[in-house]
Amino acid sequence: MYTKKSLFITILLILLAFSLFACQGETQPDAAEPADAVSEPVAEPQEDEAADVAVEPEVAVVEEADEGLEIYRVAILSDMTSSNIWNLWGPGASAYNYVVQSAYWPALFTLSDKRFDFIPDVAADFGTPLEQEGDFWTTVIELKPGYLWSDGSEVTANDLIFTSEVVMDFDLSGNWDYGGGELVRIEALDEYTVKFYYTEKPGLAVHQYGVLQNPIVNQAFWEPLVADAYTALESLEGLEPESEEYIAAMVEAQQTLYGIEANAEPIAGPFMFDKWEVGAFIENAANESHSYQDVIVEEYANGAYREYLEGFVDFAAYGDAEGDVELAFVNGPHAGSVIYSVYNQDAAVMALLSDEVDYIYNPNGYGPGLRAQLDGNENVAVQENPRNGFRFMAFNFRTPPLDDIAVRQAITCMIDKEFLTANILQGAAFPVYTPVPEGQAFWYNSEVTRICYGLSEQERMEWAITRLKDAGYTWDVEPTWNEARGGSIDWGEGLMMPSGEYVPELLLLAPSPGYDPLRATSGVLIEQWAGMLGFPVRAQLTNFNNILTETLGGGLNFDMAVVGWSLTMFPDHMCDFFLEEYGGPFAFMAYESEDLSTLCAAFTASTDLLEAQQLSYQMQEVLATELPYTYLFANPVQDAFSVSSIEFPYVSVLDGIEGFYGLPDLVHAPE
Amino acid sequence: MWRYIAKRLLQILITLIIFQTLLFVILDAQPGDITLQYLTNPKLTPEIREQMQVALGLNKPPLERYIQWLKNFSTGNLGISFTHYPRPVIELITERAPRTIVLFLTSTMVSFLVGFYLGKQLAWRRGSGFEYAMTLIGVILFTIFTPWFGLMLIYLFGLQLGWLPVGKFLDPILWREAPVNANYVFTRLGITGFILIISIVIVWWATGKLSTRTRRIARLTAIVLPVGAALLFWFNTNIGVFALDMLEHMILPVLVATLVSYAGTMLMMRNTMLETLKEDYVMAARAKGLTESEVRDKHAARNAFLPVFTNLIISIPFVLSGGIITETIFSWPGMGLTLLEAVQNEDIPLAMGALTFVGVLALFAHLVADIAYAFLDPRIRYQ
Repeated sequence: MYTKKSLFITILLILLAFSLFACQGETQPDAAEPADAVSEPVAEPQEDEAADVAVEPEVAVVEEADEGLEIYRVAILSDMTSSNIWNLWGPGASAYNYVVQSAYWPALFTLSDKRFDFIPDVAADFGTPLEQEGDFWTTVIELKPGYLWSDGSEVTANDLIFTSEVVMDFDLSGNWDYGGGELVRIEALDEYTVKFYYTEKPGLAVHQYGVLQNPIVNQAFWEPLVADAYTALESLEGLEPESEEYIAAMVEAQQTLYGIEANAEPIAGPFMFDKWEVGAFIENAANESHSYQDVIVEEYANGAYREYLEGFVDFAAYGDAEGDVELAFVNGPHAGSVIYSVYNQDAAVMALLSDEVDYIYNPNGYGPGLRAQLDGNENVAVQENPRNGFRFMAFNFRTPPLDDIAVRQAITCMIDKEFLTANILQGAAFPVYTPVPEGQAFWYNSEVTRICYGLSEQERMEWAITRLKDAGYTWDVEPTWNEARGGSIDWGEGLMMPSGEYVPELLLLAPSPGYDPLRATSGVLIEQWAGMLGFPVRAQLTNFNNILTETLGGGLNFDMAVVGWSLTMFPDHMCDFFLEEYGGPFAFMAYESEDLSTLCAAFTASTDLLEAQQLSYQMQEVLATELPYTYLFANPVQDAFSVSSIEFPYVSVLDGIEGFYGLPDLVHAPE
Repeated sequence: MWRYIAKRLLQILITLIIFQTLLFVILDAQPGDITLQYLTNPKLTPEIREQMQVALGLNKPPLERYIQWLKNFSTGNLGISFTHYPRPVIELITERAPRTIVLFLTSTMVSFLVGFYLGKQLAWRRGSGFEYAMTLIGVILFTIFTPWFGLMLIYLFGLQLGWLPVGKFLDPILWREAPVNANYVFTRLGITGFILIISIVIVWWATGKLSTRTRRIARLTAIVLPVGAALLFWFNTNIGVFALDMLEHMILPVLVATLVSYAGTMLMMRNTMLETLKEDYVMAARAKGLTESEVRDKHAARNAFLPVFTNLIISIPFVLSGGIITETIFSWPGMGLTLLEAVQNEDIPLAMGALTFVGVLALFAHLVADIAYAFLDPRIRYQ
């Protein structure tokens, strides 16, 4: 009796629990719904206008392929972490934040597709030349009328002024350039005209490739939101700018600014935020009032660039827009939305193979196993492109004899980059000879000196020995070529410097194989090659953070280090990375060069692209012969994408499709 | 009893402080700090790095940071994540924990039930081909290289057969129109599971003294009825399809997590049951003329259950830390992946927060296990 009663009560309780639970489940969810939060664009789509102006180019322009691609599905390997632009251009800068969001905001200028020409975005034209006005250098730039935010309002000079003022007031740094030392203010002359004031004549890096390419935010949206952060700024009053209290108060104000949630922010790019399911996916919906939609872009073989759309823009530069067209396309978006799904690398590859995604944004590259899987699928293509970066071995000039150019050249000569990349690294990288990648065609000096290029192992050894002997180096046992052993080098022993002292043990730091097998392998091989000449090199494969601490971090407990750089499109890194007066801790080798200093002074002050190009050539020559670095190799960018579901207007480009974050604005369905 | 609990709480507090200290020392001993990641950006000058160190409190000596950490922890403040700056750690944990709880609680329960049942059978059929085969399979799966095994299952069921998704916990194409976010569904799935388990356990307990036939009917009803009610509930909401999608995405991870771990419970159950089978009370039960299944289930298995149950209770808090490997393979953004990313990026507050959360729960689980012993085994009395 007792148990039957218990049973009855239990079942009753269960049913009651579910009834209550069911009733509760039918109530409206409390979750925020970002899709609703995004304002509907007011402006009409411009498709019909595009049809009116479509001129038949010499290279087939992408036809209206919009119908075929509802969603562009991109696999990413990590989730985004912030959607606050002030944070994104500051401490929140990361590849995965940028891949989703960097195209949201307009800038005065941008770089063209494929060729990276400096071209206007919001600006109507290049603006007036920099002129001195009293204590300031000034320039005036006109804005395009009719450049729209996604809420239908126009991008105006006031938006730019507001953005720059917030950056300056909050002392924002990182990728923000408005707060740089030389720019003091930007003034709105009228709604579509801005005037820049600099304390010194700004070079290309500061002005064209810095301030002018910084994002612009919508003032009407942000002004009320930043009010709280401005209140926090009030606590700075009366404090010494260098004091710890000031820094702490400023950090707090910045934190308030970074913490603002930007729901339904008007943007101007081809896609706007739609939904973020944390850890799973982000969806960007097409911005139907994107001003550049349907603009026709043409890049000519003679270097000319043209973009046009009746009623909005007709801009040409860098020569007469005539002759052979190398690239032509219609600006998108051609897809209804872009979904960025988060996968790990293996799952991303399987998702691509099983047609779950169209493209993998993968800065890590593919190992041989994954590459074989991708190559084995006829619906998938893997496009290789040169990377805008390079791997190198840096010499610590504080350690004799590494301050001797003869030693650096001799070691560099022994490093057979072609053999290293083709045979040891199995084609996973290609050799480089200057700090400017070949893909940066405008800046790259193809005539740069290549020490020992094309020589055999024996010839390399002989060249290196001669170079060292000429500089006063001697051996207890000189390295020799041993034909009897099938043609190999008998290692040198007891290498002595011109002072008569033995060369001390040299510590070579390289990342561990787990972090980067290519650099680890190179480190071990360089140890061997230098050892053949008699240099007592000890390669230490270590945690990458250790290398950072010893090099950029100022520890300086290293003699040589195999590391790498990723680069921007303007090659001012030739000054930043080699000369302390420009790069501070980035020039960690203690290298000094009068020639390079002179060239850098001219380069950073130059406001003329062609002049800067010639200076870049000369700087490369200095760096390729004085060798503060031995430039080793660059590993290519590998872009894997589905050929059955999508098509890009171009795939061969420096830094690959990855460098353009998957080209969401230009991708379309295959014809 | 109360005195015992108070004593254990004091021990837990001391253990927790030691745990926190070790955690801080180990994480802080990593070379460099998170600002090293910004060393390679020429736009971030040393002055800016210094500012960042001030912002993140990294300019202070380790002891001061440690004391600050303890102070904050005592007030429930786990700090601000470096990598998700300026989001609070607690917010990130509460965001990711439900996904891990649903996945790993499911796999822990399934693995426990499978392991318990098989362990019981193995001990009962000692020396049979079944025992050798199951032990061999169990040991192979227990020692298998999990990433490889997971990838093979994804390759087979996801890529080759196309039956199951290859990763993640949802299908973005379906979820782009979802009226709610994933955590909303995860939480409700968790509650459903919890109600189902509780109701089944209660019925199991309440029907223990019924006649065999009535008991079977009652227990079958106890499964069918709540499951039916749950299904009815989910199909009557506008989010049932999203829950179904999540369950579909859970199949492979749960399968992998279960297959690689059930053998632990199985072998433990087998060993403890082999011991209990030698006890006099088992012989007495047989002598009374009880059926074999009654001797096995009511006398041997129930007594062998104690250490296995303790093991289960203690392992439950660790579901919060997730399986780093499982979550990585299946792109499951739970606590395991969060912890891994935090450690890789030297996001010390997030790593500390995640580990602390697990640590506190583990200590609490030990206490629960100790107390539960008294209820499960009438011979145990706390002084």
